[in-house]
This record gives sequence, structure tokens and C-alpha cells, in this order.
Amino acid sequence: MNLRHLALAAVCAAALSAPAFADTTVTLLHVSEDKTTQALWDQIAKDYEATHPGVKVEVKYLENEAFKAKLPTMLQADESRPSLFYTWGGGVMDAQSKAGFLKDVSADVAGVEANMAPTAVDAIKVDGKAVGVPFDQGVVSFFYNKKLFEKAGVKAEEIKSWDDLLAAVKTLKAAGITPISVGAGEKWPMHFYYSYLVMRIGGEHALADAKAGKDGGFKSAIFVEAGKRLRELGALEPFQAGYLTTKHAESTGIFGDGKAAMELMGEWFIGMQAPSSASGKGQPEEDIGIFSFPIVAGGKGKATDTLGGVNGFLVTKTAPKEAVDFLNFFSQEKYAKEAAEKGAYIPAYKGSGAWVKDPLVKQVAAELAATTYHQNFFDQDLGPSVGRVINDVSVAVAAGQTTPEAAAAAIQDAWDQQ
Amino acid sequence: MTIDRAALAYAPAGERVDASPEMAFGHTPAVFVETRRRMSMNGWATLIVFLPPALLLFTIFVALPMVEAGWYSFFNWNGFGRPEKFIGLKNYVWVFDNPAFTRALINNGLIIVVSLLVQLPLALGVALLIAGRMTGAVWFRMIFFLPYILADVAAGLIWRFMLDGQIGIPAIITSLLGLQPFYLLGSKDWAFSAVLIVILWKYFGFHMMLYIAGLQGIDREMLEAAEMDGAKPYQRFWHITLPLLGPMIRLSIFFSVVGALQLFDIIVPLTGGGPFDTTHTMVSFLYYFGITRMRVGFGSAVGVVLFIICVTFAFGYRRLFMRDD
Amino acid sequence: MTDAASERQPSGRRMRGLPAIVAFAALVVLAVAVLMPIGLTGLNGFKELGELQTHPFGLPRVWMWSNYWGILASLRYWQVLGNSLLIAALTVFLTLAVSSMAAFTFAHLRFFGDRFLLSYMMLGLLFPVATAILPLFIKIRDLGLLDSYWGIVLPQVAFSLAMSILLLRVAFKQLPIELLDAAMMDGCGYFSYFFFITLPLSGPVLSTVAIISFVGSWNGYLLPLVVLNSESRYPWTLGLMAYQGQYTTSWQLVLAFISLTILPAILIFLLAQRYIVAGLTAGAVKA
Repeated sequence: MNLRHLALAAVCAAALSAPAFADTTVTLLHVSEDKTTQALWDQIAKDYEATHPGVKVEVKYLENEAFKAKLPTMLQADESRPSLFYTWGGGVMDAQSKAGFLKDVSADVAGVEANMAPTAVDAIKVDGKAVGVPFDQGVVSFFYNKKLFEKAGVKAEEIKSWDDLLAAVKTLKAAGITPISVGAGEKWPMHFYYSYLVMRIGGEHALADAKAGKDGGFKSAIFVEAGKRLRELGALEPFQAGYLTTKHAESTGIFGDGKAAMELMGEWFIGMQAPSSASGKGQPEEDIGIFSFPIVAGGKGKATDTLGGVNGFLVTKTAPKEAVDFLNFFSQEKYAKEAAEKGAYIPAYKGSGAWVKDPLVKQVAAELAATTYHQNFFDQDLGPSVGRVINDVSVAVAAGQTTPEAAAAAIQDAWDQQ
Repeated sequence: MTIDRAALAYAPAGERVDASPEMAFGHTPAVFVETRRRMSMNGWATLIVFLPPALLLFTIFVALPMVEAGWYSFFNWNGFGRPEKFIGLKNYVWVFDNPAFTRALINNGLIIVVSLLVQLPLALGVALLIAGRMTGAVWFRMIFFLPYILADVAAGLIWRFMLDGQIGIPAIITSLLGLQPFYLLGSKDWAFSAVLIVILWKYFGFHMMLYIAGLQGIDREMLEAAEMDGAKPYQRFWHITLPLLGPMIRLSIFFSVVGALQLFDIIVPLTGGGPFDTTHTMVSFLYYFGITRMRVGFGSAVGVVLFIICVTFAFGYRRLFMRDD
Repeated sequence: MTDAASERQPSGRRMRGLPAIVAFAALVVLAVAVLMPIGLTGLNGFKELGELQTHPFGLPRVWMWSNYWGILASLRYWQVLGNSLLIAALTVFLTLAVSSMAAFTFAHLRFFGDRFLLSYMMLGLLFPVATAILPLFIKIRDLGLLDSYWGIVLPQVAFSLAMSILLLRVAFKQLPIELLDAAMMDGCGYFSYFFFITLPLSGPVLSTVAIISFVGSWNGYLLPLVVLNSESRYPWTLGLMAYQGQYTTSWQLVLAFISLTILPAILIFLLAQRYIVAGLTAGAVKA
């Protein structure tokens, strides 16, 4: 074999083996519009590519509604199915798993799970098997504008019960201030009220009991009572004008522009209120306060029971093995710490509250750490079909379009029909 | 505008009369065969190459899905795996039990009513004005037709802005009158009128164009003769123009109904079916309650209902009104 | 058909005097009302958000050209238009090819079951895509065409076949029968007759079919909405909705984006008004 042949053979070998290096692409579908979070994820992807030659990591960011609308169809086809995708856990994840789209990765992720909050780890399991890894956790709470509260003479610390909240709404209204902004045009922001009321009235077993059909299922006294309480609030007309058409980002912007005193929202609100406002500046953080959803007198739920998301990334059945490797890579403490410090999100790590610098996020992290029972978002927990119905009826009940009884019956019907 | 020629297809013999004069004398199949060429090898080759692509595409993407809609509608199926949970007619019961669907049916009816009572007279009136040698007629025609070429999605979004309670027309009116802002699109009583406004804005130009085409086909001498006989303008319109426009009016009504039945693109950007599901059409109901919730059986049942309405209308309308056109 | 309208008039007399002025004024008012939404969309795209919220009507005080330049300089704008163009071009080409061949066989060949097959294809005239959209989606998925251009193009072609075949078949049959006789006498087969005589002589009807299917595809929303997932493949209708979802709170940008995406349609309409109007209305009326 002469030199030329050797060279040729080398070229051939290189040509044949090169694709094997460069061919693996890990695609990750993320729901985020927050620049800090996106920058962090892009960085993690780059770091991984640098240390793992031949693997390409593509991170795609979708807007919330677009993601929910698109994901079911994307999962159907091999070509469009991402390797890893964002999840809120719950019934939607269960349905995806039952349909055979997810991979059991229990053995591969046991290492990182050990460092994470058990509530979060459990949330990303189906029948006790891990189908992905959690990465952040959050809580829905009331954010309020301190200056507007002061102007109206309302003290947030004194809002302990639902009746206190109603009183505060009245006081704010009397002072000519829009008490609450809500993105009811997208419906789900309103279902936080309904969900929290169910939790405060029925306690931690309320949802599970309803699913199991106890006491009439979703038609139980708990859900009807929650509807009545929500209507009580709605009857005070506490929301901004035209709230039925307002999108989530718009309503957050209304708060950011100082045109409403409160909003009940998840922790992502903190990073969103400034860019969504017309001024682009939002409210300065020191003017924003947080209080937990109040208790309902006579209810079984505690003020420390929390509603909120556990988000994670799920592994699809066709994902390359590098995808799981990448999953472990981004679950490193290093990145969790970075995310916490930058205020991008609250990592699902044990004790992550200590890393958080942003005072508001720190407060949310503290709520989370002190939780007595953490409940996933109802619409996620109940799956796509029933979840949409609970969102629909939350808006309808608040606006007085449906009776609490009819709303509860509608949820039960949807549950029976699936 | 895709559905109208159904009846023609079902009366092909009538068409063949034009092609072969001898057909006028006898409709016997024997004569009929004579007018056609006997199939040669060449003919067979052509047939085998020319026809299958169309047949195949049509069967796979039009005929089969419709048949499958009928099949799926008997199942409770979320689209994953295969349909297994047979539930008989339950999907249909659920569809008709759903208040949002009943409302969608009513809305579809409302669109038709408004098309007939507002759009049709408006389009006809404008057509009469423009067809008369009005200064700038060409410009007017172009302007009125312009919205028709825009995508429904864009039209819906433009009007979402125009009707916004804070920055749109309602805001101007309420601030002039010193009233509270009015959110038309958020009002359950008024939001659907927004849909009607957009339909009117977008489609009346198309119907106007149909009438202009119809007016051009009217024999001028007939009108002039009537004028000589002392017929007043309104008499001429009532006794000559309008009857002669009959076919065009029936066609215009046909398009209004068919357009109403398949309306979807305007709803999504304008109201998304809200508030409280008061502004759905049948198709938007199918999308929001079938597709986004992945209830394939339920959505298929809606599709079948829509299909039955479309077919019944197409045949019924033909038989009743358009037989002689 | 359109320009002739100004020459011919049914009343036989030109309107004069006061009625003419009133009629003209009414038309002007109507025209302003029709144009206003489009005009305001374009103008408000030049404003700052603050000004848009306080003064939505009227000229911008500061012309924010950057709203428009930003979009024009972005990849997504050109990408969505390019996707739409590609999808529409493929649809038009395939529709013309497939339906003209089928129409030709139905027009000139007699074979067992021809009337049945024609009636079968004409079923497509009876119902819109939306009725079968769910099973169609599952079909597209099972064929592995989800999230691909073909997943939109093929159903679009399939649903436009009935109408196209009907229009073309009538037109093909109207070509003088002597032509076919002569061609056959000269030993010219159906293939050559189709390519060298039928198609060249059918320019107007082919362009009618082309215009109808192009406009339908260019403005299509439901099918791409259900079939496509990747934003890189979005046609402009989906791209517009995605943009609106992303910039919900910045109406000025959304309006600028609408203006720029509807601009091609408006320009082409102004340039080729006669053909487009004739194509869309005559196509509807003729058959």
C-alpha cells in the first residue's frame, strides 16, 4: 500500500466516521420568554457541545399558548418529536406516558434526583418511574403594588382570610384604584382563584377525592362552595375593564404600568412585569410585595398549602442516549446555582432558596420551602380536556355567567367523558 | 366559493347536449356512445397516466378522511394509538348537549341572516350605483373588492385592533361621550356583532362584483324599450333588472351560506370564540373543543354534523332554487 | 369583464344632478369606511406604543420607521413570506397538472364508470376542508407528513381538485371538436393533443384555476395551523399569529407586521386587479 492509498483510505475513513460524530442532535423544547432564562439555557447548551464533540444541542423556545397548542401534534411524528420537552407534570404528562411517548429513565437520573426536593422529583414520575427530571418549582401568590396599597390605606399583612381580601378590594375600589388585573382572555389565570379556593376549603385531599368520585366528585360541596366564593369576588367587579379580552402578558403589563394593585400569578411574574409594561420599565422591585392566598374561614386548607408548578423536562421514547446525558448535565448543581443567583427561576434543588439573590424570588422560595402541601396546577393535573373546562368555568363563574353548581357539573361531565 | 357546482356534476347529460347537436334529438344511450370516440390503445394509455393522480389524491385526502370521520365519531379516542373505546352515538349526544355548540349553530344562522338582510341589499345597491356610469367607478370597485383578497386571519387581527376598548373605535366614541370604556370584544352580548362587522367588511365587495357581472349581462335594449314605454326607474328595477339578476342573487346567497358554514379564520384572532364561548362557529367549535383538546371522536362527530348540513344544503338549495340556472 | 362595466350600464342613462352627487357622496363615505382599517393599521405601525394608546387616530407625531425596518431586517419576515410562496407555488403547479390531466380524460375519453368517477370527484364540491380536518390530521400524521410542506400542499391540491376539474372539463369540451378529429386523423395521439393543442388553447381557464388556488393557498390558515409545528416552516398567516402571540403588548409592532405581510397581496392586486377580480368572480360564476 503506497502513501497515496493510505491517504485516500484516511480520507474515506474520516468521511465515514465524521457523520457519526456530528450526527447526534439533541432537541429541547422550552417554554420561556424570559431573556435571562434563555441566555442561561443557551449557555448550558454551548457548554455541553464544547465538552461533547459531535453532539449538537438545539434549544427552541415557544410561547406558553403556542407550546400547548403544538405539543400534542409534535409528539405524534418521529420527525417532529423533540428529544426533551418542557412539562408541568400532572395529567398531561400521564396521558403522554400512557400513549407511549415517554421513556423510563429512572436508572439514568437517580444520581441527580438525590439532590432535589422530593416533592419536585415525585411530580415528574408516572407510576413511580421517572420519565424526566424536574428543574424548577414555583408558587402562585398575590403580587401587590405597595404604593397603591398605601394610597388606599390597605395593609397586605392584614389580608389573612378571604373576607379580608374582599374588604381590601372594596377599599381599593373606593379609592379609585383597579384592585386586580387578570388575563382572563386566556382563561387559565382565572383558574388559579378557583383552584386555590378549592384547596383552602377542601384541604389537601380535595382534588384527589373529586377525581376518585367521592361525595359526588367534582360536584361535591367543596367545588360548589369554591365557585360561590369566586363569584363573591367577581360580583365586586375587582378586575380591570375589559378583563375578558385581556391576555396574560397584557394583564401583567397593566400591573407593571401601575394601573392595578394586585395580580394572582406564578413566580415568573417577577421577571415579566417590566418587559410587558408599556413603559418597558415596570414597577421597581422594592415597590412590589407578596402575600399568600388567604384562608377561607371554616375551610380545611392551611395558609401554607401552596399551588404552583413543578416544571421539568421529559425524555421522549425516540430521544438519543445523549439526551439523557444532557439532562444530567444541566441538572448539575452549578447551573441550578447560577439560575438561582441570576433570578431566572427557583431550582428544584434542596435548599436552593439560599442561593437566590433577588428579594422577591427569595420570598417565593421561602414560601416553597415552608410548604405544607404542594399542589400542581389544576389544569395540568387534570389533563388537556378537563383542564380546559376548569379554565373555562373559572372565568364563567367569576363573571357570573354560570352558577357554581353548573360549573361543578360541567367539570364532572368533562371528567366522565374522557 | 368551492362548493357550488354540485348539481352540474349530477346532471352531466345536460352538458353533453351542447357538445353534440344530435343529442338534442334523442337521449338514447346508443346515440350517446356514437358521440364519443371508441377507446384506442392510445386512449387507454392516456387514461392510465392521466387519471390516477387525481383519483388517488382525492381519495386519500378528501374521501377517506370524511369516511373516517364517520367511523371515529363512534369512539371516545384521544388520537393516541388506535380507536378502541366504542361508545355508540354518545359523541353526538355530547355535541348537542354542549351549550357552546348550540350557540355556534345559532351564530352560523345569524351570519346567514345578516348576509341576506344586510350584505345582499348593500352589495346590490352599490353594484347598481357603480354599474351606472359613475365617476371613479373603477376605483370604487377596486376599493370595495380589496378586503376580499386579504387573508381572514389578517382581517380578524386588524379588527381586533379597530374594536379594542382602549385604542379602537369604541374608545373614541366612549371618550367623546364621556362614558366608561366599552369592550365590545369582551361583551357576551355584543362580541358576535364584531364578527358580523368583519364579515360584512370583507365579503360585501365580492358579492357586489357578482352583481356587477350580472348587471352587465342584462340586455340594455330591454331597459330602453321599457323606458320608452314610460316605465319609472323603480318599475324598471323591480320588473326587469331584479328578475334578470335572479340567478346571480341565488348564487350570491349560496356563497353567503357556504362561507358562513366554513367560517373559522376570522374567529381565532378576533375573539378566539370568547367571551364564554359565545362567538364560536361550528368550525371554530370543532377546532377548540376537538383538536386542541385532542378529542378526536367528539371532533369527528362535529365534522359529521357539519358535513350533513353542507350536503343537505347543497342538494336542497340546488333542487329548490337553482334548477333552471 | 370588469373594465367593460364602466362602458355598459343597465339604466341606459347616466345619473345626473342631485341624485348623482348624493350617490357619489355615499360611495365615498363607504370607501373611506372600507379603507380606514387598512390605513390605520399601516399608520399606527409607525407610532410609539404610548402614542398609539393615547392617539390611535391621526398621523404619528414621531414617525418610528424603526418599527418597520426592524421587521424588514428580520429573518422571520422573509422566511414566512418565502414559505407561503413556496407552498402556494407547489399547490398551484400540482393543481394545474393533476386537474388538467383528469379533466382531459373526463372531457374526451369514454370508459366504463366515467360518469360515476366524475360524480365521485365532484363530491369534493360539497364540503369544506374543515369538516374532515381531524381525520385528515390523523391521515397526514400516519403518512409521516406532519410538519412538512407536503402535508399542506397535498390536501390543498386534493380539496381544490373538484372545482378545478369542473372548470377545466367544461373549457376543454368547448374547444372545437374538429381540432381533435383533425389531430387524430394526422396520427397525433391524446398525449400530443393534450400538450400541444389543449393546454396552449386554454390559457384563460388555466389562469383562472391558478389564481383561485394561489389565493386560497396564500391565505390559508386552518390547514397549516394543524399540520405545522416548526416556526421555520410557518407561512405568513401562522407567522402573523405567532408574532402577535409574542408581542401581545406591543400593538404598534403587530400592526407593522400585519401591514408588511399583507403588502404583497395588496401590491399584486393593484397591479393585476383585472385578472384577479376576473379570476375570482368569473371562476365562481362561470361553471
